[in-house]
Amino acid sequence: MSVVPNKQDPRVSPPSVSNWKLILRLLRFSWQFRSRSIQVVFTQLLILILMLSSLGLTGLAIDFLSDTINRTDHVRWPLGLQPSAETEPFRVILLIGAVIGGIALIRALLEYWNQMSVSRLVHVDIVLKLRAQVYEKLQKLSFRFFDKTASGTMINRVTGDVQAVRMFIDQVLIQIFIMVISLMVYLVYMLRMHVGLTLVCLATTPLLWVISAYFSRRLRPAYLVSREYLDDLILNFAEVIQGIQAVKGFNLEANRTADFKAKNQAILEQRQGIFWLASTFSPIIGLLTHVNLIILLSYGGVLVVRGELPLGSGLVVFAGILQQFSGQIANIAGVADSIQQSLTGARRVFEILDSEVEVESPENPVHINSYRGEIAFDHLYFEYKPQNIILKDIHFSVKPGEMVAIAGATGSGKSALMSLIPRFYDPLDGAIRFDGHDLRSLSLDEIRRNIGIVFQENFLFSNTIANNIAFGHPDASRERIERAARIACAHEFIIRMDKGYDTILSESGSTLSGGQRQRLAIARAILLEPAILLLDDPTASIDPETEHEILEAIERAIEGRTTFIVAHRLSTLKRSDKVIVLDGGEIIQMGTHDELMAQPGLYREAVDLQAVDPESLALLSANHRRKGSTERGAH
Amino acid sequence: MPAKKYKLSESGQEGEVEEKHLNDEVRHDLSLARRDKENEEDREEEKKLEKRGFDLKIFIRLFAWTRPYRVKRNLLFVLVCVRSLQIPALAWAIGMVINGPIADGNLPGIYWGAAGFGLLSLVTQITMHFRQRYALELGESVVFDMRNAVFEHLMRMPLSYYHRTKLGSIISRITSDIEALRIGVQNVLFVSMVQLGQMLGAGTLMATYNWRLFLVIVAMTPALFFINRYFSKRISQASRMLQESFSRVTATVAESVKGIQVTQGFAREERNSTLFRELIRDHSGYNMGLARNIAVYLPLLELNSQMFIAAIVVIGGYGALSPAVDMPVGDLVTFFFLANLFFSPIPSLGRMFTSAMSAIAGAERIFRLLDTPPDWSDDPAAEAIGPLAGNVEFRNLQFAYEPGTPVLKDINFTAGAGQTIALVGHTGSGKSTIINLLCKFHLPTGGELLIDGRDVRGIRTESLRDQIGIVLQKNFLFSGTVRENIRLGKIGASDAEVEEAVRRIDCLDLVEAMLDGFETVITEEGAGLSLGQRQVVCFARAMLADPCILILDEATASVDTVTEARLQKALETLMRGRTSFVVAHRLSTVRRADLVLVLNQGEIVERGSHLELLKQDGIYAGLYRQFAEV
Repeated sequence: MSVVPNKQDPRVSPPSVSNWKLILRLLRFSWQFRSRSIQVVFTQLLILILMLSSLGLTGLAIDFLSDTINRTDHVRWPLGLQPSAETEPFRVILLIGAVIGGIALIRALLEYWNQMSVSRLVHVDIVLKLRAQVYEKLQKLSFRFFDKTASGTMINRVTGDVQAVRMFIDQVLIQIFIMVISLMVYLVYMLRMHVGLTLVCLATTPLLWVISAYFSRRLRPAYLVSREYLDDLILNFAEVIQGIQAVKGFNLEANRTADFKAKNQAILEQRQGIFWLASTFSPIIGLLTHVNLIILLSYGGVLVVRGELPLGSGLVVFAGILQQFSGQIANIAGVADSIQQSLTGARRVFEILDSEVEVESPENPVHINSYRGEIAFDHLYFEYKPQNIILKDIHFSVKPGEMVAIAGATGSGKSALMSLIPRFYDPLDGAIRFDGHDLRSLSLDEIRRNIGIVFQENFLFSNTIANNIAFGHPDASRERIERAARIACAHEFIIRMDKGYDTILSESGSTLSGGQRQRLAIARAILLEPAILLLDDPTASIDPETEHEILEAIERAIEGRTTFIVAHRLSTLKRSDKVIVLDGGEIIQMGTHDELMAQPGLYREAVDLQAVDPESLALLSANHRRKGSTERGAH
Repeated sequence: MPAKKYKLSESGQEGEVEEKHLNDEVRHDLSLARRDKENEEDREEEKKLEKRGFDLKIFIRLFAWTRPYRVKRNLLFVLVCVRSLQIPALAWAIGMVINGPIADGNLPGIYWGAAGFGLLSLVTQITMHFRQRYALELGESVVFDMRNAVFEHLMRMPLSYYHRTKLGSIISRITSDIEALRIGVQNVLFVSMVQLGQMLGAGTLMATYNWRLFLVIVAMTPALFFINRYFSKRISQASRMLQESFSRVTATVAESVKGIQVTQGFAREERNSTLFRELIRDHSGYNMGLARNIAVYLPLLELNSQMFIAAIVVIGGYGALSPAVDMPVGDLVTFFFLANLFFSPIPSLGRMFTSAMSAIAGAERIFRLLDTPPDWSDDPAAEAIGPLAGNVEFRNLQFAYEPGTPVLKDINFTAGAGQTIALVGHTGSGKSTIINLLCKFHLPTGGELLIDGRDVRGIRTESLRDQIGIVLQKNFLFSGTVRENIRLGKIGASDAEVEEAVRRIDCLDLVEAMLDGFETVITEEGAGLSLGQRQVVCFARAMLADPCILILDEATASVDTVTEARLQKALETLMRGRTSFVVAHRLSTVRRADLVLVLNQGEIVERGSHLELLKQDGIYAGLYRQFAEV
């Protein structure tokens, strides 16, 4: 098929694989669905033959009638089925009518059956399989992939792009087969009727095809551009509505309106510019089919007059077939479009299926009976992107049950360090050891089951509270869930809700306060009683006024666990067994709070910035003393 | 149903082909737009609307929007009528040529007939071009006007409207609703009119030609009617269920993508995959349900038209053979061509009806938006104000979003020009409301808010906001470059002015350290910049605006301490010489304030300077102790 327009779809990254390779791969993919596909093509062929026979029979009836009335003998009886001369003419007509009706019935049944097969092929066989495959793979991909891909396009890959891939089977492959076969059948049928007429009538056919391809090639990119303009407008609109407070606060209404109108105007102009072309396409195609009819009428008419062609089974049937034939030809442009779309989709789907799963369990993982929680970083180096070292020579070890605070500016590598512990990424060099074993020799599931993680912003799923807490262990008993919630100081607010633990959270738990969400996240993290707990700046997105709510939860959660916490708060830093200060991916200071305060450096500077000024401090402690004395007095 | 889709009979051509390229894309996007949970309400509504049937009032109102283009619109109606005649005429002409000159063996007659047919065809195609083109142009123009109207109306709405209304439902007005409307005008209205006209024309021709054969069609009509009604209901129901199921699928995928960290961190991949597989199996059931309905419906219609052919063969044959009736054989031929015209629009008319319903539903929602009056607008007597000294007074001020639930009760305080006022209190204590009133986002429900001694109600809103600079907690940035975002503080500011503003808050190095400096592109909601960098942009934006009154809603999310120290300094520069109101989260900001107001449940419970309040040892001291944790 050379009709594949090799235009670049503006929304797709430049193809990394050639179209031909992709088509080959799609063919290989399609091979597994061959039996049902062949069945579909075969049924379609049967339907086609039935349709032609009833068309032929109609023509036959017309001829038979005019023969009987005009006492001529033009009828060509198919398969030598000539009725005997004595048969009453109306009986013949009745028989033909009955056969047409019977064929119609069979055809309807076949049509139903065929459409159901196509649907089953598409929705059950292909899409179901492919979707599950893409989804499964998606979940195993490294965060690196998610970081560089917008979430909207990710969703599309599982929904829209998968559909585009299956189009390759039902809209391209099966279509082509049906098209080729039906064109051949039509052609043979017409040639058998009259060779000359067939050739003359089909003279315009190549033109039909060329014109369809031309319009499709011109219009499709134009519509894509128009689509882009519209997307841009909607994005702009959404932004204004989201930022309405800023718009109003800065008096930007007029400015934004002008901007919106300009974008709207651009859409209008672009579209008005292609409408004349768009509405030229179908008239031209219509005209071409009519040219065929004109030829048929004049040349075919002459043939009928000369007696070389019967009126009904010749001319009328020819007209019917010619329409079908033109339809199939115009369809070629549609198939070319489908190829284009399915290639675009396939590229994106295969990108996911081909992405390497960076982190995988080893074949024969070492099994640790019970994690003690001893962790050692051994001269570790790490980078997200080549040539861009994020962590350099990280070397330290933590005893079971210790609490380690990680401090440092944004971009110093805190989050990277944390994300290496549950093996979200593998280090470039060096290693992390749990209880003396390299992380890469352990089973991934086992590692993650022994680590509880609380992220900066914790995603909660739209499910019940109980199921959210039991996320890592769906079979956990209600007692266990409640125990975790109690430790995380969440039990009280949960039971105060309408349905308690069975309350269904709205999307991402938006009805909960930040502190409540975070406490649920803590409960979720400790449900499995992990030996290791990771807390990535858990108070970051919370109002300072409500911060104390979760500090207590943290306090209880870390008890008896090796804990890593990214923190800025003085109180947290103070109570840690070890503070690691990162700067530019390196450990620049390490020790207890008191030790670090005793030496000059980044740590002391940062802490000083937070410190309460002496005057306020004096006042506060005066208050404190006074309160203490009155309380003592009361005893 | 591959062979069906491209039937190039006249009716199939009408209106459907040109949109084919676009439709796949649009349909896809529509389904994405429907992802929003908010749209569930819309769908509920659509169900109700569909039950109620076609709403003429809305149609008339929608029709009024074509008034500016009435010449084109009226021309369209003419073209529709012409086409409804032309299409049957073409089929009739074929029959005429076959029955006349060809049957009679009249050679010149054949050529003339063919030529006549060619001429008619040419005229028909030209009519079709303009019919399509004008419908497209008319629809696009109406949609253009409507988008502008919606946007302008939204801009007039005060902030309270946005507090009440879900973001998603506002956005779907301009996405799915307007799109449905566009399809309604461009593809449904005129196309269905042509198709109805074509059926009518074909019917009339058949009736005048041979009323006996036409009676066969009449006899079939009830069956067609019931099949159509039964299936169009079932199909639209099935496709709605499919759509709902699809939004469950997309919502699940969206959650899985957003929550990927949690999934991997808790080793939930397997379980999620199992659940998802169940979900999509369920979804494919809905797909099959819809497919089954269509797989019965379309062949049934086809069966009908085939049965019609069988019937006219038998009845026509009987008529031709019995001398008593004497029906010409040629009628059979003509009917053969005309019947197709009568039957082929039927399946698409059902589809059109569904689209028309959703266009009407979309229009109704848009009109409802346009009919919502703003809660308040400026008093016509309000005056514009120039530069302010910056004296602000709240006098016995009360405010309630809803009557009966006051958010602010009797607020009294005065801020002198150049002073800094810190607002402290729990979430929901009324801090943000005070700020919103100052910006005149809302009007006080009782008491007065005086700015330089003038009641805000008497001041023109834009002139007031020109004098006020705002740095919001969410520090919202628009997509565009850093430079463009800063420039929003003062439309028309030169590059030098933009840079000067950054220099004055001493953050030039921080901006230059961004990926592309001033030209760094900010995407969706400030993605691409760190929290601290976003604040720098917001500060610079406010600095460029050079307001008399500054309003700061400090970000709650913690910036690391080193960056915070830098921002603090920038902030001090920014506040110098301006009356500033700060919703304070940082201790240092509060410490320097001239007046600290402690709010609780809409009331000022403590007031004074930082040190005074500490001495009082009340609520503020308690809050401060929690901050400081001594």
